[in-house]
Amino acid sequence: MAGVWIYADRIETGRELLTLGRKLADGLGQSLTALLAGEQDLAQDFIARGADEVLLLPPLAEGQPVQDYVPLIAAEAQGADPDIFLIGGNLRGKEMAARIAARLDTGLCSDCTLINLEGQLQMERLMYGGAAVQTLSINSRPQMATIPPGSYQAPEPQTSRQGKVRTLEAPIPSGVQIIERKTSPAGSGDITAAKVIVCAGRGIENQEDMGMLQELAEILGAELACTRPISEEKHWMTEESCIGLSAKEVKPALYIGVGVSGQIQHVVGIREAGIICAINSDENAPIFESADYGIVGDLYKVLPALIQAFK
Amino acid sequence: MPNIVCCFKWVVDEAYIKPSSSGKIDLEWAEHKLSDYDRNAIEEAVRLQEAYGGSVTAVTVAPSDATKGIKDALSRGPEKAYFINSEELENLEPSQTSAILAQVIAQQIDYDLIICGEGSSDLYAQQVGPRLAEKLRIPCIAFVKKVEIDGGRLIAERKSDDGIEVVSAPLPALITVLPDINNPRVPGLKDTLAASKKPVEEISLEDLDTEYPALIIDKGLRAASLVRNCTRFGSTPEDIQAFVEAIKKTGIIDRG
Ligand SMILES: Cc1cc2nc3c(=O)[nH]c(=O)nc-3n(C[C@H](O)[C@H](O)[C@H](O)COP(=O)(O)OP(=O)(O)OC[C@H]3O[C@@H](n4cnc5c(N)ncnc54)[C@H](O)[C@@H]3O)c2cc1C
Ligand SMILES: Nc1ncnc2c1ncn2[C@@H]1O[C@H](COP(=O)(O)O)[C@@H](O)[C@H]1O
Repeated sequence: MAGVWIYADRIETGRELLTLGRKLADGLGQSLTALLAGEQDLAQDFIARGADEVLLLPPLAEGQPVQDYVPLIAAEAQGADPDIFLIGGNLRGKEMAARIAARLDTGLCSDCTLINLEGQLQMERLMYGGAAVQTLSINSRPQMATIPPGSYQAPEPQTSRQGKVRTLEAPIPSGVQIIERKTSPAGSGDITAAKVIVCAGRGIENQEDMGMLQELAEILGAELACTRPISEEKHWMTEESCIGLSAKEVKPALYIGVGVSGQIQHVVGIREAGIICAINSDENAPIFESADYGIVGDLYKVLPALIQAFK
Repeated sequence: MPNIVCCFKWVVDEAYIKPSSSGKIDLEWAEHKLSDYDRNAIEEAVRLQEAYGGSVTAVTVAPSDATKGIKDALSRGPEKAYFINSEELENLEPSQTSAILAQVIAQQIDYDLIICGEGSSDLYAQQVGPRLAEKLRIPCIAFVKKVEIDGGRLIAERKSDDGIEVVSAPLPALITVLPDINNPRVPGLKDTLAASKKPVEEISLEDLDTEYPALIIDKGLRAASLVRNCTRFGSTPEDIQAFVEAIKKTGIIDRG
């Protein structure tokens, strides 16, 4: 029995993959196997939500990284020879998927945005920063893909479902040790669920000036978000708040970019937004091409006036 | 004293990509550039050499017309380059690129640390680094924000999904770096001149004597049109008011 395999290092993402995995397994007339780090009751939950078999990854030693599961997962997949292997595409998942694919000598579609079963998998992903969409398939086994978190809804559990559970051996230490963990401060809110977003770009000169955006956001009932330079270079906001190719895709009814140039890697993250507005002093800024409404002007003049006008 | 290898890619500059009227991608006028985050990979290698000594070698797999890219990379500080030429294999997919890199690095380069970018600007597959590490069977630390070398180990801060993990790994190892790890230097005229004198080891695919079949089958590209019809306003009070009215009319904002 080969079938479809799924793995995600986060429980939520794992459940989302059960939805896609079940659909593909049914399409192939095959079984669905979920790899999972956790306890028996979680295994039963995954079975109730669609898995036919759960392979439990045993707990890691103190300081042992999740990535140490790679050789173990690859060896199991080598033995079982699944048709399809889907992995949750958070940071850790993307790294592990690439490493597992290398061990299995198979192709991997990273950040798959669309997946269809037509005998083989037909998949889509973005290229050139989001300027293009590539259609591809994989002609080696298993056909692998990483699926961005949040792409599917977790299925409801059906307690009548039955399945097998098997616990794998403990992973052999790789020699990589985690010596410290620093959790990042929680972001203010969930930008992926926001109806209105005010987005800060590098046109903002000082961190204090973020107060103006905050004020505008409050008046509009908006979440504050940012471009990658604001989160990764300036560290004025967390990466949780960043929009784009390497960050989050958002679907607000209204997006207002302030001092955002509108490079493709950012704009691709707002392509599903209802109305896109931009405030930029450079009339040739690419953001205006992707916007519905634009104000050409200095944000330091425009924002105070805008705040007054919306009040 | 670590011997450091940095891997870089010479890519189509996506800023030049324009959808043609047929919706196909037109690459005819596209310029090339050093993949954005590979500037950080090269910079970090050079920075580590400045701190710990050793050597920096830059490696790329590219079509033979990528000599400009080699020069660009060398002008950023590495003392030597390996130029693996693959004319017949344009548009390699990550399994091919990593297999070729692995073979050349394993057979020809003495290394303690390999540095890759987090992802390439064209594919952004985020695969070549981790795949290369597996092929070489060395530890892989991805998404690194900070790195130091401590004897035979490296200490790295890597971004994870719930914050930062500080990890220690034995050398030789591979890291992939995030853009915030450093600010890449801008090469000056002197650096560009110096780059032309640095040794470039050219390796052709025939020299490697191995087949690298594509495991991903490309079924075509289409332009993702993100163009909208923008109504523009100036920054006069009247224009601001008109903008605000336009937004209010949409009915999205239920306050104010
Ligand atoms: C592989 C890859 C992945 C990436 N992923 C992402 C991603 O996920 N998200 C992301 O955001 N970026 C991403 N980037 C980076 C992206 O290419 C851009 O560099 C980034 O989006 C630019 O951010 P910005 O618009 O804030 O800054 P800039 O490009 O520096 O733009 C600042 C803008 O502010 C304007 N401005 C300056 N002063 C004023 C003023 N006083 N008033 C009004 N306007 C002013 C300027 O005209 C300019 O247009 C990625 C890049 C690569 C290579
Ligand atoms: N053709 C190539 N030659 C050398 N290094 C490469 C090549 N392609 C990718 N890399 C390296 O692998 C990283 C990730 O690439 P990718 O997997 O395409 O996102 C890049 O940032 C480079 O460091």
